[in-house]
Amino acid sequence: MNSNKGLLSSGLSMVMRNKRYIFWFWLLNLTLAEFGTAAFRRSAHAILDHSFLSDKLMHSFDIGVIVGLLQRPEFGQMDSMTMPALYFGFLFFLFTAIFLPGVFAGYASTYRLPREDFFRACGRNLWRFIRIMIIAGIVMGIFAGILFNLNGVIVKKATESTNEVLPFELRMIGFTVIFLIMTTLRIWFDLAEADTVLNDQRAVRKSIAAAFKHTFRDLARLLTPYVASTLVAVFFLLGGISIWMNLVRPDSIIGAFVIAQITLFLLLIPRFWQRGIAVSYWQQRMLVPVVAAQAAETTPVAAPPAPVVPTPDPVPVTSGSPSPSEETH
Amino acid sequence: MTTRWKIALVAVIVLGVAAFVTRKTVTAAPQAAAPAKTAEAPSMPSGTVSIPDTTLAINSSTPMSQRIVHYEIDAKYNAAKHTIDANEVLTYHNLTGQALDHFPFHLYQNAFQPNATWVREAKRDGSRDTEYDHWDPKEYGSEEITSVEVVGQGDLTKNLQYISPDDGNKDDRTVVDLKLAKPIAPNAFVQFKIAFHEQMPETQARSGWKRDFLLGGQWFPKVGVFWHGAWNCHQYHATTEFFADFGVYDVKLTVPQNEVIGASGIEVSDVNNPDGTKTVTYHGDDIHDFAWTVSPRYKIKEATYQSQMGPIKLRFMMQPAHWDQVDRHEKITRDTLDRFEKWYGPYPYKTLTVVDPEPDSASEGMEYPTFITGGTSWFMPQGLGFPEVVVEHEFGHQYWYGMVATNEFEDAWMDEGINSYTEVKVLDSILGKNTSMINWARMTLGEREEQQFGYASVADRDAMAQNAFDYYNSNSYGGITYGKTASVLLTLEGIIGEDTMAKAMHTYFMKYRFTHPTKEDFLKTIEEVSGKDVRWYFNQAVYGSPVLDYEVSQAESYPLNWYEEKKDKKEPKKGDKDDTVYQTYVALRRKTDFVMPVDVEIKFDNGEKIREHWDGQSRWTRFSYQKKAKVISAEIDPDHTIQLDRNDFNNSRVVEPNPKPTYKLSTYWLFVTQWVSQAMAWWAV
Repeated sequence: MNSNKGLLSSGLSMVMRNKRYIFWFWLLNLTLAEFGTAAFRRSAHAILDHSFLSDKLMHSFDIGVIVGLLQRPEFGQMDSMTMPALYFGFLFFLFTAIFLPGVFAGYASTYRLPREDFFRACGRNLWRFIRIMIIAGIVMGIFAGILFNLNGVIVKKATESTNEVLPFELRMIGFTVIFLIMTTLRIWFDLAEADTVLNDQRAVRKSIAAAFKHTFRDLARLLTPYVASTLVAVFFLLGGISIWMNLVRPDSIIGAFVIAQITLFLLLIPRFWQRGIAVSYWQQRMLVPVVAAQAAETTPVAAPPAPVVPTPDPVPVTSGSPSPSEETH
Repeated sequence: MTTRWKIALVAVIVLGVAAFVTRKTVTAAPQAAAPAKTAEAPSMPSGTVSIPDTTLAINSSTPMSQRIVHYEIDAKYNAAKHTIDANEVLTYHNLTGQALDHFPFHLYQNAFQPNATWVREAKRDGSRDTEYDHWDPKEYGSEEITSVEVVGQGDLTKNLQYISPDDGNKDDRTVVDLKLAKPIAPNAFVQFKIAFHEQMPETQARSGWKRDFLLGGQWFPKVGVFWHGAWNCHQYHATTEFFADFGVYDVKLTVPQNEVIGASGIEVSDVNNPDGTKTVTYHGDDIHDFAWTVSPRYKIKEATYQSQMGPIKLRFMMQPAHWDQVDRHEKITRDTLDRFEKWYGPYPYKTLTVVDPEPDSASEGMEYPTFITGGTSWFMPQGLGFPEVVVEHEFGHQYWYGMVATNEFEDAWMDEGINSYTEVKVLDSILGKNTSMINWARMTLGEREEQQFGYASVADRDAMAQNAFDYYNSNSYGGITYGKTASVLLTLEGIIGEDTMAKAMHTYFMKYRFTHPTKEDFLKTIEEVSGKDVRWYFNQAVYGSPVLDYEVSQAESYPLNWYEEKKDKKEPKKGDKDDTVYQTYVALRRKTDFVMPVDVEIKFDNGEKIREHWDGQSRWTRFSYQKKAKVISAEIDPDHTIQLDRNDFNNSRVVEPNPKPTYKLSTYWLFVTQWVSQAMAWWAV
């Protein structure tokens, strides 16, 4: 328990020491999303800005107006709104992959990592991360495919039951199990990423193998803080939406924007916290200590041998330990 | 008492009874607005058969419809195999005024066969319940007449012949024609004794089984309607519903004893049999269909509603997981009954059964006489009004299908559409104009909006007045039949007045209940009640498919002295009187083919409002003004009566743009986009 607390608190302290990373990632997230939603804004402005009907949107979330808007040919196909958002979402993921090595390096550092070191870590580990991501994508994709399909089969079978709630309950249980398994896989690859960066490991397969070994050796110790930090994310999300719905006036644009962005900012913390946990674990358990030169064992100078009596030819006696010069050989 | 007095007393009693019997015979003739031929008293050929004039199931001492059919069915349900074996005795009263030598029958359950017209159309266009990506044997249904005897003519089974009057599909067996050995004379009765076997499908088109539940809808051989001089008996199509004559139903249903059962009409008896089954008998008066349901898991609530004609027994058959919603179902039923009785006319039946069908059973949202199915799920917060919408809608069919029995094959809009219109009116009144469907988590959706966008996406596809099976596809059928009709009638309120429209609806119901009115009957009623010639509107809205879309295409002002050097002009300070005269133009465009006069309200920055009227005949018009004020907005249809306009956004133009609504929407969209990208990055790297 103490060790779990240790990982949680040490991971969190890394995040808190490097708050600027969260800020930059939030800014990146916001900027890319602004680009991603530009087409939506432009189309909506053209239809709504000069119409009385749009007033209905200010006092509630009038679904009729939204659907009416989406139906207008001049608004464009829904795909033309969602695809840019998805592309820019993908860009955020890509930028995260690019900058994450710097984050790992920063977390492991006991001092504020200089900018050039941050970007050096990013550049040095770019292809290594891409390799890890490909392997992680394959492994997690296979697991996700199998698990979701299995869940689907179970839920479909459950629909034959006369208990209407059973399919929903089984789906939720299935999602929980899938979440735990996928989180385990995420831990594995987080450790591999940490090891690659912090060990400057060129052969990522070695990092992946080492991370695999540690993940399953210390699964409970790692999974618990990961789950805890995910629950914090859920709390942030639900809390943010709840505040948004209950405290922000429907016509308050600024209020909605601020609450939305605070929520999104806070939502970034748990994932970075998990990376902090991975770095902390790496430092505690995966760090291969540099083998210090073993100090030469000193042997007291042997006392002059006592004369053996009666020995006609005295033989010199040596100590059982090797001489310093022998040890170094 | 002396003998003389005794004789006198007996004489009085005999005379009294005779007078009563005579009155019953006379009043047995149809009541309101019956066709002229009904004036002839039916002549009983031999006195052996007749249609009963019972009133057991209605709050009326006399029959309310012209009773043409009497179905007596004795059916046994095999719950393990989902089959029904039954004997049906159909007594038919020939009031057509001509001899009939053949009788077509609907065999609806044959629709659920791979080459049947219903399945072909559902595969082509999609259906509410299935896309038929693959054929599942459980979806197979069949309805086979094993024998048919016509009393006095013997066994005529060999005379049965499948026909397909609509599309010539030889593989469709949803209509069978029976050629008689001897024609049935006008005013005579004929009796058919039919034995049939039925395989119910896993629920299709609301009928069939799911798990241990069954909804028996369209489940027995049903004679067509002799209408306008010919038999009207269409094949069963993916988008069509039903059409039948009024009469009396006496139905015995034998089912396992553990089943909870509900049906149209009133329950007459419930007898346990030694073989573990029970036989429940139902009776229905002045109805034109009969449906029933069984499931061992229904939970029942019964209540009484005092209607204008007498007490109605309300029976709610709920799924156990929805039991906490039974009061919601009861409340919306009572509120709906209240509005319908006040606005349109009395509900005459003694029962109303509201069935909450098996989840995921494709049996949700269906109407049968005195029997409707709702639709809900175990998670249904109070602000989501879907159960209320479904119950209200299906109840409305008691009026626009159950009593005003229109031909749903040919004029589906007269049932579904008129019902959607009254649904808007009733739900607006009960749950609020903009909140009747959704009023939850700050989201709102009103029923009239839902009808409008249902129609807007298919506005130019089809006309309302066409066969239900001739629509472009099922989306078009839904959008036009439900959404467009509701929008057309809501718009009509603006033309003839809301109160006049209400009066017309009441008149239409009272005049045509228990008959089969045509579209012209409906439209003429509106014209008669309103005293207005609205044919120009009906021709476009009902009989045609032009689209209505008006637009404020221009609203702008500029100073008359715009050409003067700016340096010479004084910028008016705040509070200064602005003596500048402005030239203002407001232009309106009719973007599509539907011609309709419209009003436009123009507002100026000095608070002045001007209303203009435009007949809409040309493609556009322009209003111009010279005032010491600038235009700030122009709005077509400022009273918001033209529900039929496909695009409400361009009905107004505010000169100074108001970007706030877009900012608000963008904030939501931005949040979703950011959150999705964070989630992607969470798992992928």
